[in-house]
Amino acid sequence: MRIFWILLKKELHAFFVSPVAYVVLALVMILNGFAFRAALSILESAPSEGSIVTWTFHAMWFWLSYFFIFPLLTMRLFAEEKKLGTLETLFTAPVRAWQVVGSKYLASVIVYCILWIPSLLNFEFAEWISAGAVEVPSGAEQGAYLILVVMGMFNLAVGCFASSLTSNQIVAAILSFTLSLLHFLIGIFIMVVGRKLSDTVVNVVGYFAATEHIRIFTNGLIDSRPLIYYLSLSLLFLSFTHHVVEFRRWRP
Amino acid sequence: MIDVQNLTKQYAGRIAVNNISFQVEPGQIVGFLGPNGAGKSTTMRILSGYMPATSGSARVAGFDVFQQSLEVRRSVGYMPEMAPLYTDMRVKEYLRFRAELKGLSGHAMRKRVGEVMELTGVNDMRRRLIGNLSKGYRQRVALADALVHQPKLLILDEPTNGLDPVQIRHVRDLLQNLKSKHTVLLSTHILHEVEQTCDRVVMINNGRIRANDTPQNLAAQMRSTTLLHIELDAAGKPAQKLTALPGVRKVAEETPLAQPWRRFTLRIEPGHDVRDAVIELATKQNWRIREMHRQLPTLEDVFVEFALNSGAPSDIPTHIL
Repeated sequence: MRIFWILLKKELHAFFVSPVAYVVLALVMILNGFAFRAALSILESAPSEGSIVTWTFHAMWFWLSYFFIFPLLTMRLFAEEKKLGTLETLFTAPVRAWQVVGSKYLASVIVYCILWIPSLLNFEFAEWISAGAVEVPSGAEQGAYLILVVMGMFNLAVGCFASSLTSNQIVAAILSFTLSLLHFLIGIFIMVVGRKLSDTVVNVVGYFAATEHIRIFTNGLIDSRPLIYYLSLSLLFLSFTHHVVEFRRWRP
Repeated sequence: MIDVQNLTKQYAGRIAVNNISFQVEPGQIVGFLGPNGAGKSTTMRILSGYMPATSGSARVAGFDVFQQSLEVRRSVGYMPEMAPLYTDMRVKEYLRFRAELKGLSGHAMRKRVGEVMELTGVNDMRRRLIGNLSKGYRQRVALADALVHQPKLLILDEPTNGLDPVQIRHVRDLLQNLKSKHTVLLSTHILHEVEQTCDRVVMINNGRIRANDTPQNLAAQMRSTTLLHIELDAAGKPAQKLTALPGVRKVAEETPLAQPWRRFTLRIEPGHDVRDAVIELATKQNWRIREMHRQLPTLEDVFVEFALNSGAPSDIPTHIL
């Protein structure tokens, strides 16, 4: 466990001494600013069933940031070490593969969580400035951030896996972007052709759709199924990553 | 310290290391020699626990490199080829990270990092970013990393690659000093280095061990390369008379010198020393000698022979003269 913390410290250090964390943070803050502004203008124009939380996370701007974050945070993790050759130095020290994979992954999850703090403040400030005129339902808020973290964990695990496959960061980024996009497109698929399909199909496919999960959770409904879905998929992709990293040792 | 038995490593159809066996005793400095692509780095990577062998076994400090990989990695200080390092860390920061990873902590860790920085001469650079260091300094940081946990065995893959002559001498002295505490396995292309530093040489080519002996013995084994240069003042055809001496295989006259001096190069059979006989002959023939110089085969000659030929040393065709 000691080794794990040492590695985690080093990984976090790598995020914050390089511009990566700050660039992504700035990007996410800008895009969330737009998303928040879009949500406010919807509420301004007409009465709405959805809260400010719901509209913020339905804005196109939010989804834009969603796609950028994961490749940017994870492309470095293994690809850079492979390129530099430091994976060899790392694995000739007494470390286990799970410690390396786990520390890299956890570091990216921590940075990811930090990214969403400013957007959380948006809601708090809106409530405070408008002296309560803008209502931020706490259930919706908690649900939204819970699903954000869990969806993030899944996408970061996918990104981790993509990075472990190649020594080229661009390839890793594109791969992780594509996998995240495919997952997102399930939701779009329901929206576009949903009416032509039977309800069963729509419901079943809906279980996998990120857009559906966001919709449910931003309305303050905390459903355990998506949580288990994302957490188990995260574990699956992390174990894939572990296998790829360990493959060197088992390769005939 | 190292016990390698019938080690074989195949990469996708290509055999990198082919059924090699060798042992290294504690306290020795062993030079691992061979042309590029001979299988040196592969063997070193297997010994450092980075990757497994296809077949055969290797034990380091009593531990199996595959089954007891963590124990092996604790007792080995490995410096990979090209000295890969995290470019976004500072020297001291990096060495502290590596020392912690290898089990040191607190005051002992800080003290030890200070020691290895002093030892490898990177103390002045300790606050610099590794990415901004020159090749020579990076190499030394990697060496400091290999040394930091005081491993029983040091495996150094081309440690002097890219260093200037002063730095090379520094590394050589360093290795000599380490000998009392560590066993060293190093690979290099600089044969001069091996002759001066190593107790034993393992030569490898095309994945097979070609020789395993002391540098002196290896050089002595070479049949073709003991040369004797003579400058003398003699009329007629001294070459014929010199060839007649027992142990002389061939005599060649070099480019003419200023009269009356002539220069000959004699190739000597192994195990023979013809210098006395030459003096005797010269006295008898009334020749004047102003220079006689015996050139022993260098490891470089041996190396070139091995690199050019895959056969055993005895059937190497002569290439000198």
